[in-house]
Amino acid sequence: MEDIYAELLQKTAQGDQLAFKKLYEECSPKLMSLCLRLMRSETLAEDVLQEGFIKIWDKADSFTPGKGRAITWMSTVVRNKGLDKLRSLKTKAPETEIEYEGLEFASSDLEPDKLENLSQDVKGLMACLDQLKPAQRECILLSYYYGHTHQELADKLGKPLGTIKAWIRRGLEDLRPCLT
Amino acid sequence: MSNIEKNSLTRYQNPEVFEQLAIEYAVGSLHGRARKRFEVLMDTHFYLQAVVDAYEHKFANLVELLPEEKPSDKVWQNIEAHISANPTEATHQLNQPQATPWWKTSLFNQGFGIAFMALVVAGALFLNPMTGGPVATAYSAVMESENNETMAVTKVVQSDMKLSIDIMKPMKIDDNMQLTLWCHPKNGGMPMKMGTVSSKGKTDIKISKAEWKNMKDVGMLAVSIEHKGDTSVREPKGKIILKGLLHIEHVKS
Repeated sequence: MEDIYAELLQKTAQGDQLAFKKLYEECSPKLMSLCLRLMRSETLAEDVLQEGFIKIWDKADSFTPGKGRAITWMSTVVRNKGLDKLRSLKTKAPETEIEYEGLEFASSDLEPDKLENLSQDVKGLMACLDQLKPAQRECILLSYYYGHTHQELADKLGKPLGTIKAWIRRGLEDLRPCLT
Repeated sequence: MSNIEKNSLTRYQNPEVFEQLAIEYAVGSLHGRARKRFEVLMDTHFYLQAVVDAYEHKFANLVELLPEEKPSDKVWQNIEAHISANPTEATHQLNQPQATPWWKTSLFNQGFGIAFMALVVAGALFLNPMTGGPVATAYSAVMESENNETMAVTKVVQSDMKLSIDIMKPMKIDDNMQLTLWCHPKNGGMPMKMGTVSSKGKTDIKISKAEWKNMKDVGMLAVSIEHKGDTSVREPKGKIILKGLLHIEHVKS
């Protein structure tokens, strides 16, 4: 599948502000969605998104087409900014500020029209995740999207800490061969 | 280095251990001191960073599934104010030695296998001298044992003028022997001897301008076991224990 954002990112690397703006307009809604789930505060999410896009501007020349899609490169930049911010805050914003709980958007039973629009990369990843036990899959996705710690997952799911750790560890062990 | 640090390092050099930690780090389930400890190690051992990058980019595909949420207009206004105040930052970096570690732009897509071959092909097409296109600023190779086990990662970076090889899994060799690294030309002929390599951990080898220039003609790296102190050896006499294709890691326009 053609990487529709790669060209914009390459132009950004050459200092093309119009290309960067277009890239922002196209990609920021997905990345904001990720920031909101990680940070659970609109203010913090927008801070992270802003810092992430400034880093994308500064480091755009690190992206090389053909070695990965532009959107995954940008997602990684922004998510790492979010995780750094979470760590610096020590405590997360209360979940009451923004209620994002579920994983419906990542359901393995997506409607055909939604499924059709997904890239092969994400379809492949979903197929790997679908091989896991439902509890393992849920813990891994909650860790990724919400940045939950083991303890937070234990509290959220009402399971012992040891069980959560085992689910994640075994889930990732099972996932590794499929990902490589 | 204390015994505890040594033990910790040995543990992280075990592919089974670091692969699991890398995937946990990438998904975000490695927390607290363990996460910090892993980050410190990533700074000094580029194979850890390479494996993490590979997994991070795999998981990053999950973002595609998220519903869209439009940020407020002020976010772009702040970004625009920043980049307008620093209009040359991005373009300036194009003319600088590559500051981003090579592994940041490599290995991240599929791990060590198919993607590497794809990159080699893509790189070869992209850098065909007939096109007058960009030139390489870094090369890398993943080196494997006879059993096709990934044993070492090698990088050659123009800005540093050095070749670095990181042996991920310590190798046992007799006391009177040493490991020697060779660069084999694509079109055959005598290999270029690069120097002695430690049997574990990272070794940096300074390279000359001529050696850097020759890198574009190198097809394969190899590590052989040679007798210690035999400086006269001009080509591998001992057994080749590691091999890996050299490919272009980064280019400048």
